[in-house]
Amino acid sequence: MIGIADVVIGLSLGSRLFLIAVGLSLIFGVLGVLNFAHGGFYMLGAYVTLAVISNVIDNFWIAAVVGALAVGVVGAAIEFSAIRRLYDRVDSDLDQLIVTFGFVLVIHETVRFIWGSGSYSIDPPDVFNFSVSLGGSTFNAYRLVAIGLAVAVLVGLWLFITRTYFGSLVRGTSSDREMAAMLGVDVPRLYTGVFFLGSVLAGLGGALSAPLQATSPALGDQVIITAFIVVVIGGFGSISGAFVGAMLIGMMQSLGPQFISSGSIAIPFLAMVIVLLLRPEGLFGGIGE
Amino acid sequence: MTTVLKAEDLRKQFGELTAVDNVSIEIDDGNITSIIGPNGAGKTTFYNLLTGVLQPTTGSIWLRSGVEDDLADVTDAEPHQVAQAGLSRSYQITNIFEGLTVRENVRVARISHEGTRLDFRSRATGDESVEADVEELLDLTGLTHIADTPCDTLSHGEKRTVEIALALAIEPNVFLMDEPTAGMNPTEVAEIVSLIRELDADLDTTFVVTEHNMDVVTDISDRIVVLAEGAILADGTPEDVLTDERVTEAYLGSDSA
Amino acid sequence: MSATGIGGRVSQFGSAVAEGWTRERFGLIGAVALVLITFGPPFQVYLFTDFLVVALFALGFNLLYGYTGLLSFGHGLFYAGGAYGIAIVLRDLGPIIADIVGAGISPLVTFVVGGVVGLVLVVVVAVPVGWLSVRLEEIYFALITLAFGMLGYSLIIQDPAGLTNGTDGVIVLLGTVDLGGTSIRIGGRRLYYVISAVTVVAATYGVWRVVNSPFGTVCKAIRESPDRAGALGINVRHHRWMTFIISAAIVGIAGVLRAGLASVASPGLTHWSTSAIAVIATVIGGATYFYGPIVGAFIFLYIRWAISRFPTLEAYWELFFGVLLIAVVLFFKQGAVGGLYLLRDRLFGEGDIGGANGGGGGAFDAGSQVTTPPDEEAKSSNGDVRTDRGDNS
Repeated sequence: MIGIADVVIGLSLGSRLFLIAVGLSLIFGVLGVLNFAHGGFYMLGAYVTLAVISNVIDNFWIAAVVGALAVGVVGAAIEFSAIRRLYDRVDSDLDQLIVTFGFVLVIHETVRFIWGSGSYSIDPPDVFNFSVSLGGSTFNAYRLVAIGLAVAVLVGLWLFITRTYFGSLVRGTSSDREMAAMLGVDVPRLYTGVFFLGSVLAGLGGALSAPLQATSPALGDQVIITAFIVVVIGGFGSISGAFVGAMLIGMMQSLGPQFISSGSIAIPFLAMVIVLLLRPEGLFGGIGE
Repeated sequence: MTTVLKAEDLRKQFGELTAVDNVSIEIDDGNITSIIGPNGAGKTTFYNLLTGVLQPTTGSIWLRSGVEDDLADVTDAEPHQVAQAGLSRSYQITNIFEGLTVRENVRVARISHEGTRLDFRSRATGDESVEADVEELLDLTGLTHIADTPCDTLSHGEKRTVEIALALAIEPNVFLMDEPTAGMNPTEVAEIVSLIRELDADLDTTFVVTEHNMDVVTDISDRIVVLAEGAILADGTPEDVLTDERVTEAYLGSDSA
Repeated sequence: MSATGIGGRVSQFGSAVAEGWTRERFGLIGAVALVLITFGPPFQVYLFTDFLVVALFALGFNLLYGYTGLLSFGHGLFYAGGAYGIAIVLRDLGPIIADIVGAGISPLVTFVVGGVVGLVLVVVVAVPVGWLSVRLEEIYFALITLAFGMLGYSLIIQDPAGLTNGTDGVIVLLGTVDLGGTSIRIGGRRLYYVISAVTVVAATYGVWRVVNSPFGTVCKAIRESPDRAGALGINVRHHRWMTFIISAAIVGIAGVLRAGLASVASPGLTHWSTSAIAVIATVIGGATYFYGPIVGAFIFLYIRWAISRFPTLEAYWELFFGVLLIAVVLFFKQGAVGGLYLLRDRLFGEGDIGGANGGGGGAFDAGSQVTTPPDEEAKSSNGDVRTDRGDNS
């Protein structure tokens, strides 16, 4: 029997996945870089938020913004110092994947070095830290906030990409980099900007999820693979695809075990294989959709 | 004269755009045919259709199979099948195995032609007949002196010659050359033109050339086909075609090089 | 090269060894070192065996990556396939085999049967997985192999068929051979080292033959330009598929050895982080060289060991490899083997070493960076270390 709580949990899992996957997807759509370190960014966002709360200011929202921006700066620095060197190589895709994988190790170990191997958790902000009872099941009200924020990011990002000047540059550059450069777009700066934005979103995901999960150094490695699945299913570069894919996988994680006892964790990977083979461009269209 | 390559009502649609529009052509052996036309006339798309890289929307492609006169339908064949059927090509942007030496490049083509690509037990250099063929080809194309040079250190003209050697190594009936003189200086152009003439005289291969350089075209062609907006505009001997008013018109204001 | 008979070959080998730092001399030194290791301290014997197994794992992986240009993030699947194959045979078929061949020799027979079953299992899995995976290229190939690897991981830990014993994995008991009073423990460190060394050397020779065959030459061509290879009549997809299967089989052999060494076939072998070990070792060692993965595996195992000697650093060895990996890809893609060649040229000058004329019978090999053995490198046109295509940093 599916309870409302299961659905809410599924959607909140989907929300955090969306925030990781949408940045991953955006970066791939525009830069053509598959950022293996994106799960690390997500984890870093959670850690910085926790650190700010316990050491600087006991306000979750400020800490979350600081966490997200800090990750954005880290991401932009990585793009600027390392990934940028690879764009002009013949087989740049694979080199980029390997370099960002190197950063997976670096971020993982740095986090362990600073915060240790244990796991941390915090309570949701007081305003939302209460139980909601609906249809016979209960869940924490903060989950609804997390879902709402994910929807807000979806809408905001969509408006940003389709309605603003910067968004039109992003769309133009993603479809034809050379042409954009010829038309006077500062492509390197745009790339760093998009990488920053994608990293901020991952950091935000980590920050907002901090009250809902145990934050440990293993977190990054766990979520990145799921984020890959979401991006593949939703379509590389597609914002709405990332949202639908994330919600789908979130619900699967929440509800799946009730229906299939064994083999349930294999299903997302099977789905990934099938989509890659039959519809490598994903189930939804390209960037800005 | 026999037909070695035939396209019938070949058409390629990209969405609204008709890149190749009902082209029918027969190429006879022993000729050098040049296909010319302004940029965007559909030459490269036409080549990609012939070589199986693109599938035509409608129409069919036929190649002479072996030594007999009958033609085989290669419309739905993949690029490697088209190559095996006897159609070889060079690309507008040089496409060779940059990281390998000149000799290794040609050896790969010979291995493919001999059908020993799946042999993983013997040494690649161990087949004497292959090695002899490789040497002969290097000699024919004048590459012997740089045979052991890695291709990524060669000059542009040398790379283009390597590509010609590669394409010829599979002993094609037809060799489609896409802009063989693109990006070359006048000396290199002269060298490649004399190489093409020599090869045409020495080999049974039929040459089809797209070319921007009209001096080269008039120099080497027995026949000229003019493509414009995906369709054949004129077809005939150089004298006839180059005096055709429609051809001059098509070129006016566009890139006539 | 017309020496006939064994005597002739031996004397030819001897003179090649005496002549300078030829491939033969390196081979002789390597063989002597492999024998001497047998008598080292037990932990060192274990560590070296570990190195050999990882080296074979990376070597198999690199057949696909360095030679054919396909980056797999799922080769852990085949590593695990070999390990689970032998582990399940040892667990379930051990008693049956003992009934047939007698208890004394049965552990050895079971071990061999298990190894063969592991290898067959891997090939059976690799045939369809490879057939599907080679439909994709580049990043998409990396993703689909990652997905297949994790699919295998999920199935192994959830164990729907009741074969793999979930997250605990399958314990591997190699047993003791009893031959009329003399008993030999197969899993004993020294014996297991000898078994592993012989297997790895034989498999490495096999891979070496493959990459220097017409098949391997075509692989390199496909890596350089798939379009061009296709336009020359090579069925690129089919060739990649065949390479995938061979690559998986080599990794499967490494997996069989891994199971005996670790005494367990554990689900972690299928996890993408295990697949990543092959990537790390290969890239650090130099993917464009035949010996790159081997040298990379050596660095991986021995630096990890060296770091583990310092308790404060021990936990952070991954950091070191992360930084190294980034540095190698960004600044020196030739990796450690490329670095060694560079060092040699600096120290001894170009072309001084191993200039044995006509020594190999393959001046043709000289320019192909992946296969260039030490002595022939010097013979290539200008003796400098070849870089991978497109890498000019």
